[in-house]
Amino acid sequence: MKFIQLIFIFLLSIFMNTTFAAVKTGNNVPEFTLLDSNGIKISLLEFKGKTIILEWTNHGCPFVAKHYSSGNMQNTQKNAKEFGAVWISIISSAPGTQGYVTNEEANNLTKSRNAQPDHVLFDKEGAIGRLYDAKTTPHMYIIDAEGVLKYQGAIDDAGGKGFMSKDLSKANNYVLNALNEIINSKEVKDHTTKPYGCSVKYKS
Amino acid sequence: MKFRTIIKKLNILIAICVSYFSTVHSYEYQDAGESSVSIIAESKTFEAGDDLLVGLSFKLNPGWHTYWENPGDAGEGASIIWTLPDGIKASKILWPGPERIPVEPLMTFGYEDEVVLLTQISSNKNIDFPLKLSAKISWFTCKDICIPQEAEVDIEINKGEKNLNKNAVSLKRVLNTLSKPFPYEYRLEKLDKNYFLQFQFEEPENITNSFFFPKDYGVLNYSKIQNLEKNNLSVSLELPVAEVQSDHKRLKGVLYIEEGDNVNYYEINTPLINEPQKELNQSIGILTAIIFAFIGGLILNVMPCVFPILSIKILSFIKQSGGSRQKLAQHGLIFSTGVLFTFFLIAGLLLAIKSTGESIGWGYQLQSPVVVSILIYLFTAIGIVFMTNLTIGSQLAQLGGITKNSSDLSSSFFTGMLAVIVASPCTAPFMGSALGLALLQPGFSSISIFAGLGLGFSAPYLILSFNPSLLQALPKPGEWMETLKQFMAFPMWASAIWLLWVLSGQVEILSVILVLLGALLISLGLWLLERNQLTSGYKKRIVQACVLALLGLSLWFIPTEYQNNNKDSYMNQNYYSPEKVAALREENKSIFLNFTADWCITCKVNEAVALSRQNIQDTLKEKDITYLKADWTKKDSVIASKLAEYGRTGVPLYLLFSKGQEPIILPEILTEDLLMNYLKEVPK
Repeated sequence: MKFIQLIFIFLLSIFMNTTFAAVKTGNNVPEFTLLDSNGIKISLLEFKGKTIILEWTNHGCPFVAKHYSSGNMQNTQKNAKEFGAVWISIISSAPGTQGYVTNEEANNLTKSRNAQPDHVLFDKEGAIGRLYDAKTTPHMYIIDAEGVLKYQGAIDDAGGKGFMSKDLSKANNYVLNALNEIINSKEVKDHTTKPYGCSVKYKS
Repeated sequence: MKFRTIIKKLNILIAICVSYFSTVHSYEYQDAGESSVSIIAESKTFEAGDDLLVGLSFKLNPGWHTYWENPGDAGEGASIIWTLPDGIKASKILWPGPERIPVEPLMTFGYEDEVVLLTQISSNKNIDFPLKLSAKISWFTCKDICIPQEAEVDIEINKGEKNLNKNAVSLKRVLNTLSKPFPYEYRLEKLDKNYFLQFQFEEPENITNSFFFPKDYGVLNYSKIQNLEKNNLSVSLELPVAEVQSDHKRLKGVLYIEEGDNVNYYEINTPLINEPQKELNQSIGILTAIIFAFIGGLILNVMPCVFPILSIKILSFIKQSGGSRQKLAQHGLIFSTGVLFTFFLIAGLLLAIKSTGESIGWGYQLQSPVVVSILIYLFTAIGIVFMTNLTIGSQLAQLGGITKNSSDLSSSFFTGMLAVIVASPCTAPFMGSALGLALLQPGFSSISIFAGLGLGFSAPYLILSFNPSLLQALPKPGEWMETLKQFMAFPMWASAIWLLWVLSGQVEILSVILVLLGALLISLGLWLLERNQLTSGYKKRIVQACVLALLGLSLWFIPTEYQNNNKDSYMNQNYYSPEKVAALREENKSIFLNFTADWCITCKVNEAVALSRQNIQDTLKEKDITYLKADWTKKDSVIASKLAEYGRTGVPLYLLFSKGQEPIILPEILTEDLLMNYLKEVPK
């Protein structure tokens, strides 16, 4: 019996190795629970059956700021909602770093920017960000109704040199493309792209 | 925000004014926050058709950084948009080598304090002077937070001969720090999960630090440590792969090599290896391997070491043929269990030894003179048991099981074990490489191959035990069985002789004689037992004590260590010896000499990617080049001194003797093409 247990633990440890690393597109995403800006516990499992969009954000990051000041992020949110998707913004900034906000500040930001996230979640320990290997703000993930990761990477192709002077409305929006493909039961063509932006301000 | 814009505009105005009114003051830093930028040129004058080196010089406040062309996990490199008069062209940005700037847990690539991004300006004959070169620059300056910055700078160039100023010196210096083509051989290998960049280098021990900066996203992990392994003339840099992979055909980037104060960046561009195909081949390979293992197990039954034992066991069946079918089937199953158990036991032991870092294969057990000697005793003893009417007591139930008409089920288990043990010397030469492959497989495949072997091995016996009617084809029990049993002693002793030959390759001749003497003592002991089978009381005790003493003495004769002899050099035709090289050179023959060792990764990779290729093998044959292998896996003073002769303290070392001439030393890292080029030079 002991022996069988040992074998089981051994096999488990082999599989665990892969889940500790970043999530690969096409694999099931790990479940998590975080507090939102209204102090309510939100877990990913609640949204099973719906398409979920995760947006890593930091309002002080110039990349994020440009996406919001140009209205591009709000526009993407609005379109995503029309697809019936749930939009979750996640802040992994540690206390004392750029982007870290209180509940009230987070709600004010949503209101003042006219943003439409369903939830703004706090990940001040950075555990969920590291679990998903979120590197930049913005960094986008799309999870389908079965909990499979369908897209990860940049919001659009505007990244690269000279980002600040680009017209974002002319950019190729990877998130909306992927949503479109998911709704039409097509394979997501650009399923993994290079995220661009500021580094996530993780707790060190 | 507005205030800054006004300042910026004022700055531009001032810059334009200054450059317009003054010919001495050629440039102005544009302050735009935590960093500033200026434009410098190697000369303020040049002629139409000339090239001009221009740089954008960034000065950053302490603690702030800006980015390389691949910024790493976050950030963005600078963008420069030129506004140029007709007939003037600007090259892409020439990026100096970056440094690593960690932002835990992420990693970025960029520059701190200051950096000059170079641009080569070219012109045609039809240009109007004075020229104005203006650049609009946008970049990010980051510490823990990021600030986007923008600036416009320009410089006026007049007609005249090039007059290199002091900026030219600093631009030249920057030019020298750009990445250069890598002057040595390099290649990329994928072992396990990670890539390894292997390259030659003049004096690897001087390398104090090295790092590979990839240009593309989705190939390598940026933040993990890249382990550096320095060999004699080559270096291996481990490149951890990215968690999220993008499609890339090639690995492109810049290799940073630091030798004390001397820092260099080298351009690297090499194909990435595709894996999935390999995996496919392997899975097909394992299935075939299992089938072959089963067939191999079947064949083992007729090997001289195993055949006698199994045939005697079958004889006991004939005697029992009156017994119940159920009992026979039980014996068959238990025998098979014993066989499988022993195969797994041996495989498990080998895997355990392998996991301690020893590189071994099947047949490893025969590399030990102790194991070989014990097997010699065992074969001798079994032969004598066959020859005589000896029935050995219950202490040696496993031997008893062979001859006794035993109904004890445990004897069948032990017969199975014994059969595998006596089969092991036969498996080594015939199936060594196949089972060696099994040991290289990950756990499950390895076990499947051994299971296939065990099942094949016990199949004939198992079939007979379930279908005793098959036995009716054999003659009725009688005198012939005793004759056959005695005859079977000869293949046993023949196997012992073969093992003695193996032993003679490992130890001195005197030790071989001692083992023969030990076999004699064991024979004496068995004879004593046989003569006194019917005695009892104190007499029997004395006999038993004598037999034990004889056994002890014979065990004491067993050599425990390798002894110096040159025999094993002759066991393998390809084995290197200085005499062999001398003799071949005397005959004006060409030689390829490979100094290698099992523990040398570079050697093994070279052998896999170059030496063992069919093309190379064919060429060696065609050009009549003798391949010799000097194996340094075990300590060997002859090989060590030879290596020292060529200024080496380790392997690999490849020597090519063309028609008896002095050897050429080949590079430490071989590729098929490279090796082929050397071999082509050798005359037929």
